[in-house]
Amino acid sequence: MINEVPIILFVPIVAGILAWVLDVKGVRELIGLAGAVIPVAYLIKVYPTVADGKSITYALTLGSFNMSFTLNTMTWYFAIIGAVLGLTMALGMVSTAKSGYNWLFALMSFTAVLGVFTAQDFVSFFLFWELMTFASFMMVLKYNRHASLKYFILSVIGAYAMLLGIALVYARTGALDFATISQVFAKDAQLTGLSGMGYHATLTFSRTDMILLFTFFLTAFGVKAGAFPLHVWAPDAYSETDQSYTTFFSGVLSKAGVYGIFYVLLMMMGAKLYFSLGTFHGHPLFLYIIAWIGAITVVVASFLAVLQEDLRKLLAYSSVGQVGYILLAIGTGTALGFSGALFHVLSHAIFKGLFWLVTAAVILRTGKTRFEDFGGLAEKMPITFAMGLVAVLSLAGIPPMAGFASKWLIYEAAIQAHMPLVAGAIFLGSALAFAYVVRFLYSLWFGQRPSDLDDVKEAPAPLLVGMGILGILNIVFGIAPGLVVEYINKLFRKPVITGNYYKMITPNGTYNALSVTLVLIAGIVIAGLLYVYGARARKVPVTDTYQSGNPVTEEYNLSIRRNFYRPLAEALDFWLKYSWDRFYERLGQLSEDFADVLRKSVYNGNVQSYSWYLAIVLLILALWGVL
Amino acid sequence: MNFDVRLVLEVIGMLLYATFMGFIFMGIERKAMARIQRRVGPPIYQPIIDTLKLLGKKESISHGFIYDFGPIFALGASITALLFLPLANFQLFSSNADLIVVAYLLEVPMLGIMLGAMSSGNPYSALGVQRGLLTMVAMQLPYGLAIIAIVQHFGTFKLGEIVALQQVHGWSILVPALLLAMIVFDIVFQAMIGLEPFDIITAPAEISMGPMLEYGGKQAAILFTQHAVQLFAETAFFAILFLGGASNLLELLIKQIAVLFIAIFVASIYPRFTIDQAAKFFWKWPTIIGIIAVLLTV
Repeated sequence: MINEVPIILFVPIVAGILAWVLDVKGVRELIGLAGAVIPVAYLIKVYPTVADGKSITYALTLGSFNMSFTLNTMTWYFAIIGAVLGLTMALGMVSTAKSGYNWLFALMSFTAVLGVFTAQDFVSFFLFWELMTFASFMMVLKYNRHASLKYFILSVIGAYAMLLGIALVYARTGALDFATISQVFAKDAQLTGLSGMGYHATLTFSRTDMILLFTFFLTAFGVKAGAFPLHVWAPDAYSETDQSYTTFFSGVLSKAGVYGIFYVLLMMMGAKLYFSLGTFHGHPLFLYIIAWIGAITVVVASFLAVLQEDLRKLLAYSSVGQVGYILLAIGTGTALGFSGALFHVLSHAIFKGLFWLVTAAVILRTGKTRFEDFGGLAEKMPITFAMGLVAVLSLAGIPPMAGFASKWLIYEAAIQAHMPLVAGAIFLGSALAFAYVVRFLYSLWFGQRPSDLDDVKEAPAPLLVGMGILGILNIVFGIAPGLVVEYINKLFRKPVITGNYYKMITPNGTYNALSVTLVLIAGIVIAGLLYVYGARARKVPVTDTYQSGNPVTEEYNLSIRRNFYRPLAEALDFWLKYSWDRFYERLGQLSEDFADVLRKSVYNGNVQSYSWYLAIVLLILALWGVL
Repeated sequence: MNFDVRLVLEVIGMLLYATFMGFIFMGIERKAMARIQRRVGPPIYQPIIDTLKLLGKKESISHGFIYDFGPIFALGASITALLFLPLANFQLFSSNADLIVVAYLLEVPMLGIMLGAMSSGNPYSALGVQRGLLTMVAMQLPYGLAIIAIVQHFGTFKLGEIVALQQVHGWSILVPALLLAMIVFDIVFQAMIGLEPFDIITAPAEISMGPMLEYGGKQAAILFTQHAVQLFAETAFFAILFLGGASNLLELLIKQIAVLFIAIFVASIYPRFTIDQAAKFFWKWPTIIGIIAVLLTV
């Protein structure tokens, strides 16, 4: 029997290399598309196996390292999200990618992400993690050097933190495979629990070790997930690349960080962290910290998203904010919260993926990115607009869309976990989400159209297909959230959320998506009847409006393009003075200046001064040796 | 869902009743405001006449599909929100969705109105959209805190259970923490139904009705109807959360009118905030009171 795992893992990268080597227009697109379709097909093929709770493992020996990859109930969930988004990315890239370079690195990160999701030991996890960083860095580097370097530096910090964490685990356990390490942690957690009751035991990991491990891994995964205050790379990197690739970059790569927190911090070390770090007001301390990081990320990123003037930046900040929701849901520490987080991983991937594809189409057709240059595109790109509207409804959490189903679970989880202030952050965050999606709607699609956009055409077919896939998924999972919830219940091996395909029942709440849909449709029909009853409407252009008796000429564009939310900026002026991004930039500038000073004064290229340094060092060594 | 005849009749009856009462509420609002300002004011059925007149107009204009769809979507969403509330002895669909869903559904109509307003291309409408969303951003934090306090106190999200618990243990506002939550909710409520000091969205004297500006004829009639249904649903929502719900429609009506009058009295005293003042206000006192309320109910 052929093992499916290596095919799923390595087909994309092989296709990427082929596309890069051949680099013939038409051929590279076909190869790339095939490389993205095959993993999806195989993942669907193995669904019955993983849904049964069985797993498929593939082992690979590389030098002295044994690497193993597994598809099981947990990893399949993340892998299929990654693969579907990868497919839509490939569809988008057929239209937007201009060279084999893009195909190579986009598909390389596809393989890398699947590797991260399926890895069963720290060696392969780390290797694929770095491959993922490298490939996405190369994708940004081609478009903007500054943004890519910022991304790279923060990623390197994350990678070092992870390496330190892995080293610490290895030093204490002598193992690198997840199974053994999990066992050690579980046993150690039990002993810690016992020693809390006065029973003395020799622990493998001390409290300090656990604090260090928590910090290291949280930094590593936080960078990738874009958690506050490590989020600063994300807005630049997400916007300065091929927008079709961002579908995957923001939809899936950020989920690698979430997956890491889920898998390493929670499933592997969760119990041990709980016993070692203790609780805070009844919440496990380590989860409480994650919940607050999530809440702050939601609020800060959403506020910044509202105030952006660039389409890509707005969506990038919004991505950061939405990942904040996932972290927050994990932080509630209840099965309901984990379910909400896992569901939001899916729904964020599909609605934000859709957003980025719409953006890719708009940028492809207009070549503009700033809100002030857009307007009135709804008439020119009606299908793209409809898809954008689906994405907007889903992100804003309008029932019955997938975005609402997952957000609803997060609300319930956060309030039931008695984290009122954290839950308050979700309320604020979703109002802000409303505000920024309306900015997206208004500036792009409505109002007067600048005259240079008069001959814009509808998006190309492959992009539309990609959008169609994601749009349909948004609606299907919105009306039938049970499809997702049923699978998530399998992960917990118990029904956390009951109900049926259309209905979700938590211990204290219900949401019947189908009935909401039907009633909404009925309501719209009633309103529609009123509309039909009235007299026929005469169509007039958007320039023919009421202007207080002060008609202006048609050349004057009356749409509000710049600083749409200026009053908010005024209300927030105190807070906007502080910026982590500027802080890091200043830090970077300082170290550059310092290096400059060093270069000018110390490394001045003068042989005589170098010999002096040598003499001084030798002298110090000699003294040290004598002492 | 069972499509039994009784439920369908109840829904139709409730829709007619709510629309009618909503229009009467709008009339009461105008009449009471006029009496406070020592004017005679229009008769309280005036909004119904206005709406019928608008619906009967021989011609209306349209700026495109979304422009027409916006009001229709808004009315549809208002009707949806209404039907998921347990209204007195009529449970309707309320067992199918809980507090969070209803709180969201009550905000959806706003998106419909915004959608239509934005596509009209009128700069005043765009200003209204901006103001509407910023008001929503401003009020959402205290609003959320008030809702969280309710849920934490009763330990359930189901509106039916919240009403039942209040009927056993007394109204929410008899609990000190929930009284604080009610104060917060009432301040937010002023913005939800668009009355002073938070009538920033429509601000007739500044941006001539904002989002509604371009609408006339049948679309305006739909928006009027939407406002009526929304007003009924929101006052009922208030009564359900804080005033013990109701066991019959008359009791509910009395509570709704009480809520409405408080809103009218506040509205006729205070002038309008500017949008940044409103944001700063909402993030100060209501938020602080809200935080106290949620911490007391943890």
